[in-house]
Amino acid sequence: MDKLASLLHTSPATAWMVAKLVIVFGGVFSLAALWTWVERRGAAMIQDRIGPNRAALFGKIKIIGLAQPLADGIKFFFKEDLVPHDANKALFWLAPFLALVPALMGFAVIPFGRSFVSGGHEYHLALLDPGNGMGLLYPLAIGGMAVYGVLVAAWSSNNKWSILGGMRSSATMVSYEIGMSLAVVTIFMTAGGYDPSEVIKAQGHLPWAWNVVRQPLGFIVFFTCMFAETNRLPFDFAEGESEIVAGFNVEYGSMKFSLLALSEYCHLMTASALIATLYFGGWQVPFVQNPSVLLSVASFLVKMLFFAWVFVWIRWTLPRFRYDQLMHLGWKAMLPMSMVNLVFHAWRMSQGH
Amino acid sequence: MFITFALITLLGALGMLLQKNVVVAGLCMVAAFFGVAGLFVLLANPVAAALQIIVYTGAIMVLVLFVIMMLSSHQEEEAAVSHPVQRWLSVALLAVLAFGAVNLVLASPGVKALAVKGAEMPQAMTLQTVGTNLFADHLLGFEVAGLVLLAAMIGAVALTKRNL
Repeated sequence: MDKLASLLHTSPATAWMVAKLVIVFGGVFSLAALWTWVERRGAAMIQDRIGPNRAALFGKIKIIGLAQPLADGIKFFFKEDLVPHDANKALFWLAPFLALVPALMGFAVIPFGRSFVSGGHEYHLALLDPGNGMGLLYPLAIGGMAVYGVLVAAWSSNNKWSILGGMRSSATMVSYEIGMSLAVVTIFMTAGGYDPSEVIKAQGHLPWAWNVVRQPLGFIVFFTCMFAETNRLPFDFAEGESEIVAGFNVEYGSMKFSLLALSEYCHLMTASALIATLYFGGWQVPFVQNPSVLLSVASFLVKMLFFAWVFVWIRWTLPRFRYDQLMHLGWKAMLPMSMVNLVFHAWRMSQGH
Repeated sequence: MFITFALITLLGALGMLLQKNVVVAGLCMVAAFFGVAGLFVLLANPVAAALQIIVYTGAIMVLVLFVIMMLSSHQEEEAAVSHPVQRWLSVALLAVLAFGAVNLVLASPGVKALAVKGAEMPQAMTLQTVGTNLFADHLLGFEVAGLVLLAAMIGAVALTKRNL
């Protein structure tokens, strides 16, 4: 890293920051693109079909259809870019960015590997170094911003179905945010800190000391709320083919639609990374006290991609809820469960002294 | 940095006042809140910035926009009769309020703390300090605020649900 920095005439800190930016944003974005393919192949597998397997590089190299995201991207770029006549043009253009930017930004605080020391400098494997003061409040704040992408896309299209979709999904996101935040607060409490590195350190390397074992109720609540926050089935009320045509993105086409779709997958990646960090020990390797840096990154990636796969798995297993059932679940099941979890752990901590 | 965030805040606030379309005005307000959050970060208070975004942009503004979209009256209504007296009165009141607020801020000890450099510089705010401050020094205020919010919530339920 030092040599590279001196080659580029910058300090190692700057070079490392740029490298991290490329790794995190490039990584999340390409994983999101890849996951569109995983989703289609996974759906096909679950429904006993074959799925997309024809796309080939240069017409020859078919790697089980892995070129499909590339082909999709090229196709989206060459589609006609329509804007409805009565749409609010400025907001219609702004909405895909409002959806994508928070989805990508949320990942910035999550450590994806162990910090290491090289040449007298300490390098942290997270965009925002530990001790930045925002900690895990940051993904919560940015996650809350995700509503605007959906709301603005829905409203600016000037289409009653898209507005209905946007309304439903923003109501869902706002109501599930409370239960989710209370589950996260319990973790802050037991870990004694709100920085992701502190939360990971408090969990240690033994799987039975991870938060999923210590706070199973909190995990269930957080996991469920993540589906509502990312707008995934069974809670994807922004969409609904049989009820409201397509939902908030009904008027969108070409690359703008692609950005809206990709932002959902970026959210999915951030959500799985959050689940791995909060409840499954982040980059900790089970039963290994001090893992090497590469091993810790691999461990984090395995956990994160597993949960990303669970999101796909559940999407093709469960049907969509009805809207009132969703609200009942959010307010009458998730919120009380989260409260019970919080009070129980507060009581246990007060007994511990 | 300060100029950037200050401009975002001011332009957002101006846009909110001048926009005829209520939804666009709401989004301008979101931009203003974002600028304020940025200013909080510059003042070494990332917790306040995060809470600003979570509470105001993430929850309150979403609900406000939600209601506006539901009512689907996207254009501001013109006043039936114009009252120039009201306008001047409000401008005068606003000027007095603004003057008082600026005076208060300039007289507060926080402004002097900004000039401190070096080792005595105050530490960045953390969630732990906020918590201990809230529950040790300002417990009464905290409880009163909680009670007021609870009353507002019960009132809202009682108003909207006539046949409980």
